[in-house]
Amino acid sequence: MKRRLIAVLVVGLVLFVSVVAAEEAAKLLGDESDGSRAQPIHLIPLFAENDKGEKGAQIDPNDEFAMPFSTRWTCGACHSYATISRGWHFNAVDSNAPAGRPGEPWLYFNSKLGVQLPLSHRSWPGTHRPERFGLTPAEFTKIFGRHMPGGGPGEVTPTDTEELAKQYTSGKLEVNCLACHNAHPGQDQGSATGYAMQVTKGNLRWAAAASSEFADVTGSVADAGPTYDPFMPDETEKKAPKVTYDRKAFDARGSVFMDIVREAPKQRCYFCHSDLTCGPNDEKTEKWCSDEDVHMTAGLTCVDCHRNGLAHDIVRGYDDEAAISGNAMAAATSCRGCHLGDENGNRPTGGRLGAPVPEHKGIPAVHFDRLTCTACHSGPFPSDQPVLAKTSRAHRLGTINVNKETRVLPHIYEPVFAKEAVIRANSTPTIGPNRMIWPAFWGTLDPNDAVVPIAMAAVTEVVGAVLKDVAPTDTGDWSELKEEQILRALKALGASGQAKAVYVAGGTLYQLDEAGMLAGRKDHPAAAPYLWPIAHSVRPAAQSLGVGKCTVCHSTNSAFFFGKVDVDSPVASVAKLTKVQYEFQKASHARTWVFAWSFIFRPWFKVVAIGSSALIGIVLLYFGLRALGAVARVLAEQNK
Amino acid sequence: MFQVLSILALAAVLVGIAAHWVLTPANGSRCVLRGAVHAFSLLLIEQRSSLLGALKKLCYLVTAVCFVVLAITGFYPTLVKGEHISGFLMYIHATFAPIFALCMAILAVTWAGGHRFTAEDCPWMSRLLRRVTRLQVVADNRPWPCSLLLCKATFWLVMFLMLPLILSIVVSMFHILGTPWQHWTLALHRWTSLVFVLAVIIHTYLAIRIRMAS
Repeated sequence: MKRRLIAVLVVGLVLFVSVVAAEEAAKLLGDESDGSRAQPIHLIPLFAENDKGEKGAQIDPNDEFAMPFSTRWTCGACHSYATISRGWHFNAVDSNAPAGRPGEPWLYFNSKLGVQLPLSHRSWPGTHRPERFGLTPAEFTKIFGRHMPGGGPGEVTPTDTEELAKQYTSGKLEVNCLACHNAHPGQDQGSATGYAMQVTKGNLRWAAAASSEFADVTGSVADAGPTYDPFMPDETEKKAPKVTYDRKAFDARGSVFMDIVREAPKQRCYFCHSDLTCGPNDEKTEKWCSDEDVHMTAGLTCVDCHRNGLAHDIVRGYDDEAAISGNAMAAATSCRGCHLGDENGNRPTGGRLGAPVPEHKGIPAVHFDRLTCTACHSGPFPSDQPVLAKTSRAHRLGTINVNKETRVLPHIYEPVFAKEAVIRANSTPTIGPNRMIWPAFWGTLDPNDAVVPIAMAAVTEVVGAVLKDVAPTDTGDWSELKEEQILRALKALGASGQAKAVYVAGGTLYQLDEAGMLAGRKDHPAAAPYLWPIAHSVRPAAQSLGVGKCTVCHSTNSAFFFGKVDVDSPVASVAKLTKVQYEFQKASHARTWVFAWSFIFRPWFKVVAIGSSALIGIVLLYFGLRALGAVARVLAEQNK
Repeated sequence: MFQVLSILALAAVLVGIAAHWVLTPANGSRCVLRGAVHAFSLLLIEQRSSLLGALKKLCYLVTAVCFVVLAITGFYPTLVKGEHISGFLMYIHATFAPIFALCMAILAVTWAGGHRFTAEDCPWMSRLLRRVTRLQVVADNRPWPCSLLLCKATFWLVMFLMLPLILSIVVSMFHILGTPWQHWTLALHRWTSLVFVLAVIIHTYLAIRIRMAS
């Protein structure tokens, strides 16, 4: 018995040591910091990926048929690529990754066919999975990979043989470390030969190299011949992708100095996370006419708040994130985390990074239960109507040949003050500013009354034939659709085998009734607008809502409660419809209006209350002094 | 904690009043219904035909109505639902509050003289002074009117509590107090209102009993 026990203990100890050793062995040189805040010098050799998907030869700039370097095998020599590729920017296709707060979707649009559809691999309510829309990961990557940092759908291995062959040629869109961590001003994401263009042309294997300052890529996979093999050099393939390295960038040992920094410069973030707010009457605006986020002007960068470790589980910065995210800094780098700290903690943690601790003088505490910080401090100052906004990912900002018209699709409106989705059970929904899009797409009704989008290929073929006479607009705006055209399109879809075809646009679901006529339903959840919270740009405190006056929000003509929100639709008959902001806050008109109207009497309330207090105070003082006098007289008589 | 303490305190006061009413019956009907009607009619005090009397009576009735509305709208969400006042209840509460404040100020002016402590109220004072001090106070063994004394005391308590009750809300409307102080003034308003309501209930009960006795 004793011997058996000793044997079990020894085996257990051996197993423990081997596991620990294995863990230690798995960590690469760059996975853990030694604590130095100095930037390590990246004078490193570059490696390509071979035809087996493994580490290939070192890049030789003198090789006429040099391969593009692979970030997996170059950066991955010191930094665990597998761990990094599970980070937030890369894990959209991972069904185990928590979706968290709804965010900006990918927007597929076609102005002529009346399509404006929010897509996401994440389970955000109101978005649709790309595969249900007929987009394979490869097609999705080709369309949207321009503003993706790689990984995710770009690295999904297809099961279809034909798709697999295509991926062999084009390569996978690896995590492009340079997209964030290259501090060199030559990092090229958006030019005619940069990252975005390479992805669009299908040159996924070449995209990271093309983005670097020391490599140039010409040609494209799409233009190459049918027998093109990237691993078998062929001089006859003149239009195939070709990478040319700057020989001066390589030293005598074939290593390249790469200006890699831990803290991504804001310029890198801006390529994917820029936005442009249009004027109140859809007039064009210029970047120089608006200010950056106040945190930037104060000297912070994006990654001062949006931090991550090796796991790249980057902080998104919303309340309740700490309950979902594994990032240790999620709570500390939210608005409250930096500015107020942990109010229930044992030690002070507010005022991080020089953040002022707000006093919020004169603001009743109920505001902090009902509103997010961003409601008063972020986004454009609300005007009578939300305005159109453009974002990098939706409108291809920063790439070439961008349509700069204000009404170009997709139509994103901001700010719309709405109750935000509850992330954690038992937490109270709060009101905050959002961007909003009205989905428009062709779909079918399933037995559960849910709408499934019809694949774009089928829509293009069937609906496109019906709408062939509809002309696209010069501005990129909707081409106007008439109800008669919708009717014909639904009938055509039905005839093509799409049972119970419907069209969703502008908050209405159009379907054929039993008589074959067009009927509209305004209450269907599939037609509801998709909203996602915004947190930038943060305005200075002096420009926050309610500064100085409560009536900025609490009045019967305030933009916050009574602003008119356009119902965006290509359908001609609903083009002028609007909703009111309070509808998105789940409030009633009567209650909202009565409360706003009551603020007219607030000054009188103060006058009456203070006057009454003064009168009561005078009475108390008078009779109190008289009583004191009487007591004093009594005591004086006693002393005689 | 506030919810529990409020319920306990209100229950204790109401039970105490009921017990006092049963154990020490005042003049008047012992029938509950008749007694209630009698007590209600006593609210129509100062039945003077002068304009001033009528105005004072009106002011008192308006105050009583405002008090009931404010008490219900203020305590119902807290005691019954366990949540803060909000929505239409808050709008009603905020509408009746300034009217109540104004009426209370008028009552303070018109009633203060009649609620002064007099020598007849204070035999207990001489006894207290003799017990706790070394002053040579003449003994005064006259029976002292407990109900009247308590009635006056609760009147002054109510008037005194009006100040923090009003100012705790009004001050929060100016750009003076930050968030921690906003929480504090809200708590002050809540607790003050509890004591205020208890004092008003006791005062009203005693006022009715005194008038029934007289």
